[in-house]
Amino acid sequence: MTNSNQYWKGLEEIETSLSSTTNQGEFGDEGLPLDEVFSDSEGLSSNRRDFLKYFGFSVSAVALAACNKAPVKYAVPYVEKPENVTPGVPLYYATNCGIYNEGYPIVAKVREGRPIKLDGNDRSPLANGGLSAAGQASILSLYDVHRLPNPVINGEEQEDWAEVDKAVKAALNGAGSKGIRIVTRTVSSPLLQNAINRFKEAYPNTEHVVYDPISYSGILQANEQSFGKKVIPNYHFDKAEVVVSFGADFLGTWVSPTRFAADYAQLRRPTEEDPTMSRHYQIEGLMSMTGSNADYRYPMNDSKHGLLLANLYNKIGGSVSVPSMDLPANALEKIAADLKSAKGKSLVVSSSNDVNVQVMVNAINDILGNYGSTINVGSNLNISAYDEASFNSFASDAGKGNIAAAIMIGVNPVYHHSKGGALAEALKSVGTVISTSMTMDETTEGAAIVAPDDHWLESWDVKEPVSGHYIFSQPVISKVFNTRSVIHSLYAWAGDDLAGDQPVMDLAKAYVTGMGASWKQSIHDGFYSKPVATEPAAFAANVSAAASSIASGSSSDVELVLYQKVGVLDGTWSLNPWCHELPDPVTKVAYDNYVTVAKRDADEVFKLENGDFVKVTTPNGTIDRLPVLIQPGQARGTIGIALGFGRKVNEQESNDLVDLGKNAYPLTSESNGSTSYVVSSGVSLEKVGSGYTFAQTQTHWSIEGRDTIREATLGEYENNPKVRNEHAPHIVSLWNEHDYSKGHHWGMAIDLNACNGCGSCVVSCSIENNVPIVGRDEIRRRREMHWIRIDRYYSFNSGGEALTKEKAIDAKVDGGEYDHYENVSTMHVPVMCQHCDNAPCETVCPVLATTHSTEGLNQMTYNRCIGTKYCGNNCPYKVRRFNWFRYNLNSKYNYHFNSELGRMVLNPDVTVRSRGVMEKCSFCVQNIQMAKLKAKRENRKLSDGDVTTACQRSCPTDAIVFGDRNDQNSRIAKLFNNNRSYKMLEETDVKPSVVYMTKIRNKEMEQETTTSHS
Amino acid sequence: MFEANIRKPLVTGGKTLTDVSNDICRPIENKPTKLWWLGFSISFLLLMVFVGTIGWTTWEGIGTWGVNKSVMWGWDITNFVFWVGIGHAGTLISAILLLFRQKWRMSINRSAEAMTIFAVICAAMFPLFHMGRVWLGYWPLPLPNAFGSLWVNFNSPLLWDVFAISTYFSVSLLFWYLGLIPDIATVRDRATSKARKFWYGFFAMGWNGSARNWHRYEVVALILAGVSTPLVLSVHTIVSMDFATSVIPGWHTTIFPPYFVAGAIFSGFGMVLTLLVIARSVLNLQDYITVEHLEAMTKVVMLTGSMVGLAYLTEFFIAFYSGVEYEQYAFRNRAFGPYWWAYWTMMSCNLLAPQVFWFKWARTTPWFIFIMSIIVNIGMWFERFVIIVTSLHRDYLPSSWVMYSATWVEVGIFLGTMGLFFTAFFLFSKFLPVVNMAEIKSILKSRE
Repeated sequence: MTNSNQYWKGLEEIETSLSSTTNQGEFGDEGLPLDEVFSDSEGLSSNRRDFLKYFGFSVSAVALAACNKAPVKYAVPYVEKPENVTPGVPLYYATNCGIYNEGYPIVAKVREGRPIKLDGNDRSPLANGGLSAAGQASILSLYDVHRLPNPVINGEEQEDWAEVDKAVKAALNGAGSKGIRIVTRTVSSPLLQNAINRFKEAYPNTEHVVYDPISYSGILQANEQSFGKKVIPNYHFDKAEVVVSFGADFLGTWVSPTRFAADYAQLRRPTEEDPTMSRHYQIEGLMSMTGSNADYRYPMNDSKHGLLLANLYNKIGGSVSVPSMDLPANALEKIAADLKSAKGKSLVVSSSNDVNVQVMVNAINDILGNYGSTINVGSNLNISAYDEASFNSFASDAGKGNIAAAIMIGVNPVYHHSKGGALAEALKSVGTVISTSMTMDETTEGAAIVAPDDHWLESWDVKEPVSGHYIFSQPVISKVFNTRSVIHSLYAWAGDDLAGDQPVMDLAKAYVTGMGASWKQSIHDGFYSKPVATEPAAFAANVSAAASSIASGSSSDVELVLYQKVGVLDGTWSLNPWCHELPDPVTKVAYDNYVTVAKRDADEVFKLENGDFVKVTTPNGTIDRLPVLIQPGQARGTIGIALGFGRKVNEQESNDLVDLGKNAYPLTSESNGSTSYVVSSGVSLEKVGSGYTFAQTQTHWSIEGRDTIREATLGEYENNPKVRNEHAPHIVSLWNEHDYSKGHHWGMAIDLNACNGCGSCVVSCSIENNVPIVGRDEIRRRREMHWIRIDRYYSFNSGGEALTKEKAIDAKVDGGEYDHYENVSTMHVPVMCQHCDNAPCETVCPVLATTHSTEGLNQMTYNRCIGTKYCGNNCPYKVRRFNWFRYNLNSKYNYHFNSELGRMVLNPDVTVRSRGVMEKCSFCVQNIQMAKLKAKRENRKLSDGDVTTACQRSCPTDAIVFGDRNDQNSRIAKLFNNNRSYKMLEETDVKPSVVYMTKIRNKEMEQETTTSHS
Repeated sequence: MFEANIRKPLVTGGKTLTDVSNDICRPIENKPTKLWWLGFSISFLLLMVFVGTIGWTTWEGIGTWGVNKSVMWGWDITNFVFWVGIGHAGTLISAILLLFRQKWRMSINRSAEAMTIFAVICAAMFPLFHMGRVWLGYWPLPLPNAFGSLWVNFNSPLLWDVFAISTYFSVSLLFWYLGLIPDIATVRDRATSKARKFWYGFFAMGWNGSARNWHRYEVVALILAGVSTPLVLSVHTIVSMDFATSVIPGWHTTIFPPYFVAGAIFSGFGMVLTLLVIARSVLNLQDYITVEHLEAMTKVVMLTGSMVGLAYLTEFFIAFYSGVEYEQYAFRNRAFGPYWWAYWTMMSCNLLAPQVFWFKWARTTPWFIFIMSIIVNIGMWFERFVIIVTSLHRDYLPSSWVMYSATWVEVGIFLGTMGLFFTAFFLFSKFLPVVNMAEIKSILKSRE
């Protein structure tokens, strides 16, 4: 940490045009009325007798003024106050979240020059206000101690960019007959594209190679065959009344999950007036988060999806000759019937990266008339244009020594590519490798010159995630380190001396005004849309050829599926503790990398137990040692390993992020010109050890048949809107109720139908409320600190009754029957402090550290807490969290609370708790207070929606609603009276202020009896 | 004086009044034996373990223990209840048996009361050091303060604990000290060195053995006995309310007050037996603490053991009868869940094992009684462990269900309090008369 004072430099450079609340007089700081007194016509010298009066007044005024000041260390006042910047008042800037290469519209909350929180830009049609867990966590990458503070030339830090430019130009000009390559992710930024074009002009022997960590080239090629366009089309889940997903985790990781989740949720909310909802079929080998939300879920090995799709194609009216195949209980028939009855309003998607399978998917969607309604080929997604062939030729050119200089922009193929190790060797034959990575990564380690890019929160950019829809990135902090935008760098290397302080801003401005958009309005909104002409897509692929290719494929007893985890995603940004501290939505394992195995396979095929170590052997490579996790819902014959682990950086450190898991990318392979994430033959497991303890936040298997979560079918709900909630407990209270008739009465409603378990709220809450990162060992000791957790429950459809009791499960196991371990349905239930009116925690605290507010909040006074932990014991929901250690001074870590830089992300409105005190969800009381003050200043009543909690804001599906129950017109008041609402553990009469809304699944009762036996 | 010849003498060996003084004062006036040194050294070593582990806890945080997000109390509160319970026998013997004029209590009440005091000190360590911020440990006291209008929460059972335990400790200490005064005076009178004369004289508070002295002594003893008697019942009742007033299935039980009191007396007598069986042989007091005494106490152990056994069974029945699934699960989980071994240890040690005292041989064989007393102690420790941990580790929402196991720090603290207890007891046996000489002299059968 050399240049800490840079963080405060040049706030005034940030244009503050923006959707923000500002100005003086916020907290009534009118100052003392000295002017009035001293401008008294007679003045100070007027009267000897007034001396004492003035003297007394002055002394008391000085005393008062002195009392007014809080003891803040190192607070330096502004010499000149920047416009719109008032200490203590946040500014909000619309910008772009850079962990999504294609761009994602966000709003950054900035306090005193520091961005401290990211949320989705709710005005943008692409965001709906939500932001994924990984997106939330990404703010820490700005304050990452591993960022390169300066450019590096041949291992030496170089403060002067002119030297960098000189070195780069020397390398480029010396290229001679050898080529230059620019390797980037899919270019979604027109500014970057222009810069590359300009660069190519300057160096005509340059080729641009696109590399993405996750390949979608199966879809790209299929669309080229089908429609002549090598694009990823835009999917509209908000129009799809029947969704059939073959392994695509479109709510968690597939293509553009956050927006898909928001769109999908729109058709998942039946109301009494309109009791309809979409129906979601999921056929998958692993148990994905998306699968856990499906109405019908069929475990089926991924390698068989192609054949299944071909059969589905035949059932809905197509005709190809393939071996017949069906799901258990002829479910394919039912899927086909449902799809046919929803022509033009259905959607079939597949995770397969095989062109033939994707052609089959296209053919099905074409027959169903989905093109133009739920799928739009004209307006495509700029997610990926990665073409394996062109990258492979780059790799071979590199190995042959035909490349003089390679500029690696935001890519890390040494880690992500299946042949990363060979690539690292090949890059050594490249004349000069130039990397623009912000941090040292596997590829950058081999780079001669590192010209670190700005963080996206420090830079200007334009992104086009969907054709015709632009997102604007603007800096929300002055540069933390001596970095330079890669766009600027490319122009500089091309020989253009860009003028001005912020040349990239000028480029962006020119681009925006060139589109005919208003610069100010665009930057204010953060996005701009222009109409895109959509041409009708004429399907023209050879389905029979695809089908015969599918039919000739083979599958074996064991196949390996490589998947992405929510939070960790492809691993690019996975060196972020929040991504790992968040438990996986399905397995509830934090930090660890593991091999998921179906129960039957573990018992009968591999003879494995949870926590055994295995060696995974595949034709593409082996992984020496990973623990085994037995995953309910997983198809027999499928094993799964998450990508994104095993990063080999910062290895001299000893925290939980170093040496975490194994890199599974080398197990991927290429077939049919696309990367395959399914290894369908030659996979074997060998037990090499045992006894691993997962850092798992939930370990008990069964829910014991308790009525804490409620679920019904759509048919039941239509007949009876109060289904499952009919029997309210008859409760008699000995005490007088709290009186909430005056003022506010806060409450929260959580729609279990909308919640998909993605965990975005968990990370959002942690950031908003300065919740410490505790690490893997502490989670193993069951001490995670999250104020909000998402309980995940499995249930077993068997014979029409949901078997949830352990006894019933075991009875089935004894008979050697594993269906119920595979046919699980899953519930996600977010649980935070329920702010009980009769709070058990409040009565037991000996020192009144936790008390009830007149507005129904259960308050926690950290300063008063002595840490008896009785409140935590007495909480029926177990939502209280204790500071077992000084988590804010954890010598083991160098991020977040534990470095000067990491601490910049802390929310100054929320106390950092010391060791030995209890903490818990506060309903974001700081936001309530802020909203109240704002309303008071504006001399109005609080209106519904003024107060939002962090979890609510981050939720992509709007599953969480917060508000004032006393306001009869508020959403929350209506939801409290909704027939679907129930209170968890209502029979204990703790009177929680949170209601849950019964989960409705769009399935038929009689279906359950038939799906139980395959 | 009336002598009931049909009763067996409470003190055997034909002791004279002089013998009593000589016998009881011998350990005080002579150099300690090797056995004493051995016991004291081990105890002191354990006391240092206590200092170390408590220091580590205070320095690093409660995180050094095995407690977690669901089981926030583990060995700490288990030990607290265990030690408080042990104290009860002392008060029972000195107060209730005094009121009932049970003269056999006279040779054991001194050490039983000492045990009470040391046990309460050990107990108090746990609620103090289980606090996350022990340096603010005085905040639960209703002191006027400069923090503004901060006051304590009179609804909280933990606050009741503060009052109950501190009252109990003060009254017990007073009672014990009052009983000591005549004996300290005896030691003073027999003293040969100046220092001894000064210190024992100081603590004897000018006792001169006059009729007025004796009168006041008897009156105050009776009053304190009267004050202590409700305490025998109230202290553990209030401790039980830490659990009974909560909402946790397995804690939220109205049977807890009588059940805890019975358990406390049970465990207290268990510990008294442990101590006295050792003390009578180490200090050569077989004639004062006779097999008769031991037998009387084993009868109490058997009675109270059966009472807690009845309470265990009642709890089970009520859980079944209530129809509340959480209660039912909590009890099923105790007996057949992952902590079944703790439950069955408790059942066999507390309910089954004491039934051997139906046999005369078992009641009159000191080495056997000693083993049984250890079993009782183990059983009662497990009772508290079962109540606290098995209820917390699986309460309402299965998503938060966890397992708990203690770390070496928690084990060290528990062993450390053993060290504290026995160190104090060894010092007591060295510097103060372990048997009430003054009272014992009134029940001697042989007269000169």
